[in-house]
Amino acid sequence: MSEPDRVELVRAAQRGDALAMQELLTLLTPYVGRLCGPIALADGPDATQEALIVIFRNLRQLAEPAAVFGWARAIAVREAVRVARSAGRARPSELPEVPAKGDPQLAADIRDVLDRLAPEHRAVLVLRDLEGLDEQTVGGLLDVPTGTVKSRLFRARRSFRKAWGR
Amino acid sequence: MTPNWPVADLDPVRRLAVLAEAIPGAVFAEDVLDAPFDQVWAVAGDLENALPALLTDVRSMRFVEHDGERLVAEARSHLGLRDRFDVVLRPGWCLMQSGRLIGGMAAVADGDRTRFGFLGGLRLPGTRLAGPALRRLGRPIGRRFLRRLGERVAEVTG
Repeated sequence: MSEPDRVELVRAAQRGDALAMQELLTLLTPYVGRLCGPIALADGPDATQEALIVIFRNLRQLAEPAAVFGWARAIAVREAVRVARSAGRARPSELPEVPAKGDPQLAADIRDVLDRLAPEHRAVLVLRDLEGLDEQTVGGLLDVPTGTVKSRLFRARRSFRKAWGR
Repeated sequence: MTPNWPVADLDPVRRLAVLAEAIPGAVFAEDVLDAPFDQVWAVAGDLENALPALLTDVRSMRFVEHDGERLVAEARSHLGLRDRFDVVLRPGWCLMQSGRLIGGMAAVADGDRTRFGFLGGLRLPGTRLAGPALRRLGRPIGRRFLRRLGERVAEVTG
């Protein structure tokens, strides 16, 4: 879908056109599911549903329809962390920090890495590795200072390698 | 090697529930019907026959245009009112909208049974303000629709 078409679709959905809302839902659901899946894990469908409800309830507040994916991403990540936390499934993280970018274990068994991280750290990993965002943007989205993201990532290299190197 | 990230999916019934939450005053009802998906959708997806049988206000429904999964349907009420609906219809999903009304159905297989969702809503000025009251008033419509659908599926499948 071209950007002008997408902007028009968002505007129609903002006006309450249910068929446009449905089409936008079809467009956004896979994206939101890709973000919520790795953060909320077993609660991924619940997180995706909650995130999409927040997105569609607040759609009229989106001033820049062209920015719909970035706007949806911020909501999805926040909702995924919240749902994962409130589900009470979060195990005490064995990996206290996020593994370094490009670490071969990420590719080898991402699910195991995610299982061993806290939801907030999964969110850092998703935003950095899946979405390709820089530390400043990740910090902004998660409402933590860039320095915190940087130090987490720096310390992560050691702790992650130690955990995997046993 | 690229990591194989887990992805969360949202089935059609959950998608319909999202729309219902976003449409002011919309009614949503969900139930598990004791019949396989194919049998349930054969009844529910046959809109021209199903809707007059399942909704008390609808006397007839007729497709007047057809383009893939996009359709245009004309409905008539028992009072003689006419409404023209834009419809999206595919297996497990139906959403329809006129100038005044929104309707939706979604179904997903649940083993040998079927999880089914119903959505009904108004497109009138003031529905945003009256949303909570409309939801309360409309709840029986959704429950009745699902009960009748279950009965009709049982009749058809014997």
